[in-house]
Amino acid sequence: MDPHNTDVIQGTLDMLILKTLSLEPMHGFGIARRIEQVSRGVFKVNPGSLLTAFQRLERAGLLDSEWRQTENARRAKFYTLTRAGRKQLDVETADWSRRVSAVARLLKAEG
Amino acid sequence: MSLWRQLAHGFGALTRRTASKQQIDDEVRHFYEETVAAHVARGLSHEDATRAARIEMGNPTVVAEEVRDYGWENLVATSLSDLRYGVRVLRRSPAFAMVVIIVVSLGSGAVTTVFSAMNALVLRPVAGVGSADRLLTLSPIRSDGLILQQGSFADFSYLRGRSETLSEIAAWGKVSLTIAGPSEGTIVWGNLVSANYFDALHVRPYLGRFFSSDEDRTPLAHPVIVVSHAFWSARFGGNPDVVGRSILVNGHPFTLIGIAPRTFRGIYTGVRADAWVPLMMQPLLRPRADLATSSWLWIFGRLKDRVAIESAQAEFPALMTTHARESGEARGPAGFRSMRVFPFTGLPGGEGVIVLRFLGVLLAAAAVVLLIAGVNVATMLTARSIGRARELAMRAALGAGRMRLARQVLTEILLLFLCGALGGWVLSFLATNALERVQLPVNFPILMELSPDVRVLIFAIVTALAAGVIFGLAPALRAARLDITAQLRDGAGDGRWRPSLLFRVLIVGQLSLSLVLLVSAGLITQSLVRGQQIDPGFQMARVVTTSFEAESWGYDQPRARAFYRALRSRIQSMPDVLDVSYVSRLPLTGGSTTEDIDIGGATIGVQIAAVDADYFSTLRMPMLQGRTFLGIDDERSARVAIVNDSLARHLSSDRLVIGQTFRFLGKPTTIVGIVGDAKYSTLGESTPLFAYFPIAQLWQPTQSLLVRTEGDAESIGPAIQQLVLALDPAVPRPKVSSMKDATSIVLLPHRVAALVTAVLGAVGLLLAVVGLYGIMAYSVQRRSREMGIRLALGAQRATLVGIVVREGLTLAVLAIAIGLLLAAGAAQAIKGFLFNVDPFDLATFAGMALVFLLIASLASYLPARRAAVSDPVSALKAE
Repeated sequence: MDPHNTDVIQGTLDMLILKTLSLEPMHGFGIARRIEQVSRGVFKVNPGSLLTAFQRLERAGLLDSEWRQTENARRAKFYTLTRAGRKQLDVETADWSRRVSAVARLLKAEG
Repeated sequence: MSLWRQLAHGFGALTRRTASKQQIDDEVRHFYEETVAAHVARGLSHEDATRAARIEMGNPTVVAEEVRDYGWENLVATSLSDLRYGVRVLRRSPAFAMVVIIVVSLGSGAVTTVFSAMNALVLRPVAGVGSADRLLTLSPIRSDGLILQQGSFADFSYLRGRSETLSEIAAWGKVSLTIAGPSEGTIVWGNLVSANYFDALHVRPYLGRFFSSDEDRTPLAHPVIVVSHAFWSARFGGNPDVVGRSILVNGHPFTLIGIAPRTFRGIYTGVRADAWVPLMMQPLLRPRADLATSSWLWIFGRLKDRVAIESAQAEFPALMTTHARESGEARGPAGFRSMRVFPFTGLPGGEGVIVLRFLGVLLAAAAVVLLIAGVNVATMLTARSIGRARELAMRAALGAGRMRLARQVLTEILLLFLCGALGGWVLSFLATNALERVQLPVNFPILMELSPDVRVLIFAIVTALAAGVIFGLAPALRAARLDITAQLRDGAGDGRWRPSLLFRVLIVGQLSLSLVLLVSAGLITQSLVRGQQIDPGFQMARVVTTSFEAESWGYDQPRARAFYRALRSRIQSMPDVLDVSYVSRLPLTGGSTTEDIDIGGATIGVQIAAVDADYFSTLRMPMLQGRTFLGIDDERSARVAIVNDSLARHLSSDRLVIGQTFRFLGKPTTIVGIVGDAKYSTLGESTPLFAYFPIAQLWQPTQSLLVRTEGDAESIGPAIQQLVLALDPAVPRPKVSSMKDATSIVLLPHRVAALVTAVLGAVGLLLAVVGLYGIMAYSVQRRSREMGIRLALGAQRATLVGIVVREGLTLAVLAIAIGLLLAAGAAQAIKGFLFNVDPFDLATFAGMALVFLLIASLASYLPARRAAVSDPVSALKAE
């Protein structure tokens, strides 16, 4: 286990889920693993938070879900991005880049 | 949309609770299995993979719980389970629950009853009227600033065509109607109305039609009548064929054209109207010469769409000024300056405000009882939460969050208060029922519909729940703030328990509040007693009275005069009868008539009454100068008047007024006598300037008969009834009562207030004393070990009693100090309501404090004695 992994930054989990799902429909575990892999183990997703986030996003109309067979023949709940979800992802991505560059500028200025 | 989705999902999850739970469980299990599989794929054994997954994910059940907690519907679900748990807990201690519910019911019942009366009399829209919020009452303001309820026909017909802000202006006046039946006539309370009356009120006929505009133009041209649904059912058996038929009204044929809807009983709260006739029929039904200019019509209007009430108010001063100029009337103090608009209620003009203010005082008193009840319950709940500490600590130890525990306890408390609200609602039903049955000394059909409706139920629930939150929050939070280990280690407590600060504050609070009620009740009761002792300036004992409305029998003036004369002489010849007289309006019944007199170039507004020759001797009013009225002062002789002492002094400082002449209603009138001052409309009034005129010269068809007897006042009633019916069998049987009863309405508000505050004071005292007793008993019980040790060590029982009683009395004395201060504030607030009573009446304050101290000592002594007689051995063994 990587001792340096971090909890996902508060408020960014939704964006990470939306981004991950923008490639293809996925189930909960798949999303968790993808986030872990792509972040190279920096982010470790807590399943409780992840599944609660699904409930929240689905209620907000950003996700759809359906039960399907996985490739290894298990039944899993697959999530798909809705149109509203795609729009929300664009908004959050733009917002996030703005914040990151602002923080980066601040840190640079301090140094 | 998002809210909709939230709701839809929530309801979906609620209705398919097991299905949605299953889905979440499945999803969590899938996640878990995949994690295990991933570890196996990395080369771990199945067992190690399972362990690793467990460590990584945590307990799958806990994860599922966490996910399930999301969403508003879970709040509902946990509240429901709190409620279920609460019901179970309370069912385990039914005695406690019953006591709390009874206490809350008493408090809630008090406020709900008063609010119910308030709602019925003032707040509730008049039954049967459509869009009442757009209706306005128009009340004339006199030049001297007095606001009257009624205006004149001239005012009404001038305003009717000219207002820019009101779409309809309608008017109505009361009229007594005797509707002939197969055998005997029925006297009903009728309304003379303008033709647009029903239209303005948005009332549609149940059957037939209402009045048309041509029935509003020509006097006496259209004898038509509308009757109430109730009258139609009772009198005509609900037969629809009677519409269009002719019926005899006051002896004249009228065509019955319509039936009013069932709910509509006129627009004056408390009085049931049974028939409506056009204003144009007034000369036939109320044949009086002065109805065009005297004030006898209630005027109301309907606001045009999108017009504010302020613009209506702004319109009238100019209109009325023009009206006064055009009508060419020189107006004295009793002349009208403008119309004041009020929101339309069943109590027109300022009357609703007066009733509201009166009931507001009672509501405040009732609220104090609810406050006492709330404090009382808070004490019980706090005591109980100490008793339940072990259970709550156990639940906390098993992982219940503090907020969750507090919410659970608060749910239980609110459940109790909700039951109390329902109890209070039921109590208010019983109380208003009892109030409705009270016979009022008035001569019109009373319709007291005080019973609570849905609005009152909502009020009861809201106030009780608010009280529940206010008084339950502290005990609930206290329950959540427990020291778990201490409680579980030693559930019995340390045995040195004394009432905590919170307890003492609560007890002192309720004791002092109940003292406030007691003092107020004492002051108001004294005011009532003093009111009954006020010398009205005449003697009512052994005088009986009844009233006659000769107009409603279809009598014209000569016939009515003959009737009154004949009746008087027959009563005079009865044995035991000392004096007989008539008066136009019985004194001390709340009303008065004011007219202008012109004397020495000045115009003075004076109150007037028309009286018969022996009026002053019948009421034993002293003649100060001059003569009384005589039989010769009739319609053919010169006009005369008698003034009261105040008017005589007003006219001339040494009362040299006999023989002076003034103009009254256009006629020269000579003052022939001065009579002593007396109360006229109310007992609290300052003595008015008053003039009496012979009833033969100032003719009034409606007269009250006064008979002074030497003998039994009770038995003379039937004899008078027989004499009346012997004169004319068609006349409705008169109701004869003692003058004391007939004028008792003048003290009615005080009587009601004294009764209500006394009942509330008693309930408040009972609650507070039970609270004190309860807490002392509880304290003694908790300290039984201490008491046992003290006894075992040789303490005298009397010493122990002293310790406990002193504790109770300390609280009581503190409560008395605070209560008296608060009572002084309350007395200041009700000062205007008390007559001849000093709001800081020392005797009342001291007396109530003493009564209070005695009761409080008893409430502390009884538990103390129980402590002292307890057996030390068993007390020590008990733990």
